[in-house]
This record gives sequence, C-alpha cells and structure tokens, in this order.
Amino acid sequence: MRGGKSYAPSQNRMPSVSVIIPTHRRPHLLRRAVESARAAGESVEVVVVDDASADETARVCRKLAGIKYVRLERNQGVAGARNVGILASSADYVAFLDDDDLRLPGSLDLQREALAADQRAGFACGAMLMSDQSYRPTGEVFAPSHPGGDAFWELLELEFPVMPLSTLIRRECFLRVGLLGRHLSGIDDWDIFVRIAEHYPVLVTGRPVGLYRRPTPSSGQGSSAQAAQLRRVARHQLQLLRLPRAQAAPAGRRRAARGRALNRLADTLLWNAAWQVPRKEFGFACANILAALRLNPLRAARPGAYRKLLASLLAERGAGRDEGSASSGEGISGE
Amino acid sequence: MPSVSVVITTHDRPHLLRRAVESARAAGESVEVVVVDDASTDETAEVCASIPNIRYVRIESNRRVAGARNVGLLACAGEYLSFLDDDDLRLPGSLDSQVALLESQPEAGMVYGQALVVDQTGAQSGRPYPASCPRGDVFWQLLRQNFVPCGSAVFRRSCLYRVGLLDDTVPGLDDWDLWIRIAELYPVATLEKPVSVWRRSSPASGQGTSQAAALVARCRRQWLERWMMLPRALDATRPARREAWRHFSANMANHLVCETGRALACGRFGQAALSASAALRLFPLEVARAPFDRARVRAVLGRLQDKWSALEARS
Repeated sequence: MRGGKSYAPSQNRMPSVSVIIPTHRRPHLLRRAVESARAAGESVEVVVVDDASADETARVCRKLAGIKYVRLERNQGVAGARNVGILASSADYVAFLDDDDLRLPGSLDLQREALAADQRAGFACGAMLMSDQSYRPTGEVFAPSHPGGDAFWELLELEFPVMPLSTLIRRECFLRVGLLGRHLSGIDDWDIFVRIAEHYPVLVTGRPVGLYRRPTPSSGQGSSAQAAQLRRVARHQLQLLRLPRAQAAPAGRRRAARGRALNRLADTLLWNAAWQVPRKEFGFACANILAALRLNPLRAARPGAYRKLLASLLAERGAGRDEGSASSGEGISGE
Repeated sequence: MPSVSVVITTHDRPHLLRRAVESARAAGESVEVVVVDDASTDETAEVCASIPNIRYVRIESNRRVAGARNVGLLACAGEYLSFLDDDDLRLPGSLDSQVALLESQPEAGMVYGQALVVDQTGAQSGRPYPASCPRGDVFWQLLRQNFVPCGSAVFRRSCLYRVGLLDDTVPGLDDWDLWIRIAELYPVATLEKPVSVWRRSSPASGQGTSQAAALVARCRRQWLERWMMLPRALDATRPARREAWRHFSANMANHLVCETGRALACGRFGQAALSASAALRLFPLEVARAPFDRARVRAVLGRLQDKWSALEARS
C-alpha cells in the first residue's frame, strides 16, 4: 500500500512488467528469448538469471543491451533462479520466460492491462502456440481450459494446466503466498499457481501470448524424466491438500480432488506410453505403464485404458496402411 | 531510501513483536523495518497496524521461518539486509556501526557480531556468544559450527544475487546454510562486541529443544549432501574434508549430549531419550569418545545430581 503510493510519481521511469528468464548453458537461444520479451510490451524490464552456466552465457549477456543480468555462482535450479530473478526485478507484474521459449509481441501489455483492470485477480493466463525446434508454429494451440475466476480446485486437480510461459503474475501475490519452493524445480510453477489461486481469482484469455518450443522426440528431453516427474506431482498434491482452503473443505471434496488428479496422472502416463510405442521407445513406455499401475492401479488396470496403446501398436504393425487408425483412440483423454 | 533493512519474521507472538521492532529502529539512523507475519492466527495484524512506519507483509498460509524471511527480503528495499526474530533484540546503534564496517570493507559480503544470551525471563546467562569472532575467510570454520547468531549478521543484497535466497527445505538451518554459501565466496567482517540479544530457548519452554534430535539429523544430511558438495569443499583435499567432518561431528555430538543433560535437568525424559538416541545413532564414534572427556562427564553428572536433589526435595 505504501509502496504503491511512492511509485506513482515516477510511473514513466518504472518498468511496468518484469520478465524473468532463468538460463543455464543455452546462450545461443537466449538472445531470441530476450528480444521477444522486449517486444512483448512497453517498458519491459528483462532480468536474465544465469544459473551458474560454465559456458559463454556471461559474455553473451554482456553484449545484450538493456537487460538486468544476475549471475548465480552456485546452481540453484529453475525455482531458485526464478526466486532470485523476482528479488532482482522491480515491476509490479512478473512474467517467467524459459530461455528456449518466446513471448508474442504485445502479449505482456495485453495481460498487464487485464490485471490492472481487475485488481482482485492474482495472475492472468493466456493461450500458447506450439512450435517445433526451429520456432516454426505447428498450428497447435494450447488454450486455457478454464473460464477464469476461482480456479483453486481445478488447478489442484490438474484439470486446468497452466504453463508459466502464458502467465503474468501480480508481484504482490508472492508477498502473500510466499516464493517458489526451491526443492520443487520442475513443478514449482504448478505449486505457486495453486497457492496463488487459493487466494486470488484468475484472469483467462484465449489469445495466444507465448510460443512454446516443444522438445523433439529424439532429444529425449522430458520423456525419460516424465514418469518420475508425474510421481512427484502426485506426492506434492498431498502437501497442497493441506493448504488452509483445502483443509476447510469437507473430506469428501479433498478425496475427490485426489482421485481426479490420480486419474489424470495415470491417463497421462498411459497416453505417453501410447505415444512412445510407435517410436520404439519401449523402455520409456514400460516405465510409464508401470508408473501408472503404481500410482493408480484401478485406473491403469482397466482394459479400456489401453485402447490408444493398442491402436498405436496396430498402426505400427500396419505401417503401410493409413495413419487414420491412430486417431481412433482419443477415448483416453476424453474421459 | 533506507540503506539497511531488518526483516522481522513473526508467528503468533504479538506481545514480543513491538520490542523487537523498536530495538531494530533504534539500531540505526534510517532503518527500514519489514515485519513478515507468517500466517498468525491471533491479533498480530492489529498489533502491527498500531506500529507506525513499518512495512507489514502477511503470508496467508504458513511458510515457516525461511519462507517468511525470503518474502521479507522481497519486500524490503535496503542495500544492507539483516534478520531479526520476533523474540530477539538489536542493540542501539549496532546496525549503523556494522554497515559502516561493511562500507569500509567493500570486498566483505557480510559482517556479524556477538549476541548477548538471555534466558526466557530476560536475565543474562553466560558470556556473549561467540566468545571470539573469526573473520576473513571463515568458510571452513563455519562448516564446523554456526557461530553467527542470526540476529547479529548484516549482509549485502548483492550476495543474494550470487548465492541465491534462503533454502526453505531445511528448517532451523536456513541461516547457517546462507552464511556458509556467502562465506564460500566472500570474506566475512566482524564487529567484536555485542550487537543483539538472543533469547535462548529452554527445554522447559519446549521451544526448539523438542526437535533437537531431528534438527541435528537434518544438519548432518545437509552437511554431507549440500555443504560438502559446494565447489570449494569439493576442490579441497581429503584430509581437509575429514578434518572438517571431525570437528563438525564432535560439535554435533556435544550439542546432543548437552541437550540430553538440559532435558534431564528439567525432567523431560522423553526428549532426553530422543537426543541421546540420536547422538548414538548419528555420531557413535564421538559418543564413544565422550566418557573420556572429563569436563563433559562432570557437566552431565552435575546436572543429574541437581535433578536428583530436586526430586528428593519434592518427595
């Protein structure tokens, strides 16, 4: 409250939005991310947090004009680096950007205006365009699956996936719910969004605000770690169910939230397996199926859950035949 | 713009808070006081509203001390930062003299001083801690034991940009962990006189001691898995690392034995058993050596004797 007043006279000098870009050993991608952030709004402060990169990241950053460069001497992980970025930033709105993703032009202004118009909202969430490794949009759009408003339970149940790339967060939220959990790198964003949504409504727009560079299947990035990651999500949900608002709800509501999240996780694991089988990543596929069985035996043991998997197996067998059969098993994600 | 900020974290202790805030303000010319209310369920908010010129931040669901301190760091504007617990005090003028010292030593990352140790009633007990303040490169000394009282330290904001924020996964050790990470990269300055008042918990108050065993277990894990993995520790020779471990484990075992004695002295036998078993489990070698350490044996026996006579007097 006190701060808001003293900011007012110097409004034109203060950055309106801070974009925090944690980076680790990817200097070749960084410049593009920084430029996209700068073009995404007026008076944007770009904070690059170099998470103890041992390569020429520092040199590349020195050449980038007009950024705030923070160098961590000791690796802190994504969450720790984002926290330091928040500390180093000065604007009232904070956005996170990964060094390999892009912000779309004007997107920060759009979300900032939305947040400024609705003082109650904690963060604004938009859609993302998917792209391949060379930043060419694939045509897919990842749109928010929530109308906005109170999204606490939907976030907690994983019904409403929110990516940091597509959000703009009010700085004040961190003062009220705390910073990112350093030990949660990888799921730190989900954790903070749930904790913010516990107290603040969410603003949602269907407009695309970011370009998400999807990891290639061959890079293996993600696929091996995914089963472990989803098990972490399952474990951490138990912590989030201890938040005051969840505790205040009837036990049945909490049980339902747990059940839905576990179903969704099992489905995702099986869906991943189905996706990996045609690519002959049998090891990863097995790991995913086993993880699904461990996490949610009832869900993963239903024969119906494997329709997609079988479909993709059959599609692989009849490699010469039409690809059409692969799309017949959309039942899994539709349930 | 205030040059020094004090982050006071508080949880359900409004009766102590006002004194802490006043002491912080009297510790320097222009001190920014940030009170972080870690989801208190009592009248802390009203008490804070009645204290003028503080920045009050309220966390809605408890993030524990380290999480609250991090939020405080985010909320404050000073170039020099320091922490204060709600039950501790800063001595008048102490912040200004410590900041002056840091300004005169631009390469130092932090400065610390002694703390007057008082018991729960506020009566001074024992000499100021630490008896002597190591300065300069104290990385290896800090790996042996934490001799930096949390309320007695002032560090630069720029340190945080290089070493990161507090680790909120190690409750009770987050300050020690930060000092070690700062001392790994920066020399440390000292002001060898009391700068703060540290209200030490007693086993009778239940505060702190009940978790002594768990805290030491956590500390041992942190030492092995984090502190020894810091590049400077990794680069050290094996003898240097072993030497550090010997001192650390001896200190920890000693601490647990003392806690056992303190718990026995006030009749908390459950806690005593916990501490003793932790000592045996975590540091068996050091405990095996303990019976040959006369001073320690005498201390424990003395406490037992007190306890015994107290029991006799009661019957």
